[in-house]
Amino acid sequence: MQLTNKIGGQIMTNKMLRPKKGIFILLFAPGIVWYIFTVILPLSSSLVYSFLSFKGMRIDEFVGFTNYAELIYDKIFWLSLKNNVIITVLCVVGQIGIGLVFAAILNMKMLKFKNLHRSVIFFPGVLSAVIIGFIWTMMYNKDYGLINFILEKLNLDFLILPWLDNPKHVIYFVSIPLIWQYIGYYMVIIMAGMSAISKEVYEMADIDGVTPWGKIVYITMPLIKDTLMVCLMLCISGNMQVFDHILVMTKGGPGTSSMVMAILAYNKTFEQGRIAYGNTVSIGILIISLFFIVVSKLIIGGRKKDAS
Amino acid sequence: MLHKKKRKLGAIIINFIMILFSITCIFPIIWMIYSSLKTSPEFNRSIISLPEKPMLKNYIDAFRISHMGTYYQNSVFNAVVSLVIAVFFSFVIAYFLSRFDFKGRKVISFCILLGMLIPVHALLVPMFIQFKNLGLFDQRFTLVIPYVAVAMPFSVFLTEGYLNSIPIDMEEAAVLDGSGFIRMLFTIVMPLCTPVLTTVAILQLFTKWWNEFPFALILVSSERYKTIPLGLMNFSSQYSTNYPMKMAAMVLAILPIILIYICFNKKIIEGMIGGAIKG
Repeated sequence: MQLTNKIGGQIMTNKMLRPKKGIFILLFAPGIVWYIFTVILPLSSSLVYSFLSFKGMRIDEFVGFTNYAELIYDKIFWLSLKNNVIITVLCVVGQIGIGLVFAAILNMKMLKFKNLHRSVIFFPGVLSAVIIGFIWTMMYNKDYGLINFILEKLNLDFLILPWLDNPKHVIYFVSIPLIWQYIGYYMVIIMAGMSAISKEVYEMADIDGVTPWGKIVYITMPLIKDTLMVCLMLCISGNMQVFDHILVMTKGGPGTSSMVMAILAYNKTFEQGRIAYGNTVSIGILIISLFFIVVSKLIIGGRKKDAS
Repeated sequence: MLHKKKRKLGAIIINFIMILFSITCIFPIIWMIYSSLKTSPEFNRSIISLPEKPMLKNYIDAFRISHMGTYYQNSVFNAVVSLVIAVFFSFVIAYFLSRFDFKGRKVISFCILLGMLIPVHALLVPMFIQFKNLGLFDQRFTLVIPYVAVAMPFSVFLTEGYLNSIPIDMEEAAVLDGSGFIRMLFTIVMPLCTPVLTTVAILQLFTKWWNEFPFALILVSSERYKTIPLGLMNFSSQYSTNYPMKMAAMVLAILPIILIYICFNKKIIEGMIGGAIKG
């Protein structure tokens, strides 16, 4: 994703189109003020709050770096970060990996009902995370869940697990609904990237007798590298923020075994009433997310330079 | 001959795999829909069988108990109002950023860019404090405020990119013909931007507004302002044992989405990935 915003080449030098100052302010200011009030102001006050302590909703006193010290020594915060990273890795492999495979299959000539497949696979992506969370809680249910039912019918009883109740594995099983919901999303993005490749390239390869597998590895993959990088960034930034699904399925439990950063901030603030610390966890989320974005931008930027 | 047979076999296998995969992607939802037509004992007897006598009692119960009507009104209100305001703001801001150089342009550009990088969850706590202290907590308009704001950065970004690709000749001609600025902006430029504004609206509708959960969770507390995802959350935790009724409530919540998706899936898919590709 191109985040550096180039100033367009059309900034006018002639003053002809320029509106009067009054009209300019009337049209431009409300949106900007709205945005600053809702995004920039809370963000800056958040930084200030992180050095304060609270009594209820009221600011109590200046406490320096106490909140940050607690954050750094908070084992659960680091556990949450680790869980976020595990989920992100699983989702990168699951969503982009599986998405890529099925995008390649959907590009094959011999496949029928392409549009139907595309629409059906994409569908879970338009549903609310709350719905997805509930559907999967029911699927995972010990007695009435679809998964155990199918495993039983297939005589695979030994695979039946307490899906969401085992602290050791719960983090893997809460990732599956996330992967499932967005496979279609990444698949369609990758398909769009593939459709930009000209047919002639493939025809040339056909003449040269390249196998279908060879075409994917030597033609498709290198040509959709940029698309894959966009997917990677979307996937990382999306999964560092995962919240709704897990809140619905496990609330971060059992214990803290499926805790992620956003749920930790929520719990500290709204369940335990520790506003100052919950706010500091929010800042932690901000710093870590920005860190990951910068790192992935650097990796992508570096690659682009290599290519040119 | 053998080669042809091999190809045919390959085609069958590929088609089969794809059908299987599509079914995996949709079956949980189908399961939920037909199970919601069963009675609770019937569901407990066999979770997978089709309903013997499909009945709508679960729906009537779920609708009555869950206040789904109120949640619907609120979700529609939030989505529609946010959509109108956000599209208007994004268009105007994008136009000024694209066409004019003025004092503070760079700062504003930077702030908007920053908005794309900020995770929503970093805003939840400070926004809660701010809203609570200013008396904006739990009002009719409460959720529209963040919904418009979080949709703005990406919408401005997309629209600005689109505007940069439109030559200014038309605008100049309009002004030369004596059209005023506001008329030029809304009768000439805005219609030209319909494709990108549609993308923006669809994208934000499905990713930010209709399904939004965290802001609703922390900024709204009374029953009469709750949106569908939030209401569903409360309902489901109260009636966690009656699966068919729970499923009926969820089907009620997604039914309009299913219908809209069946009619406009191509447009919706394009809109939702449009942002990712153009970005």
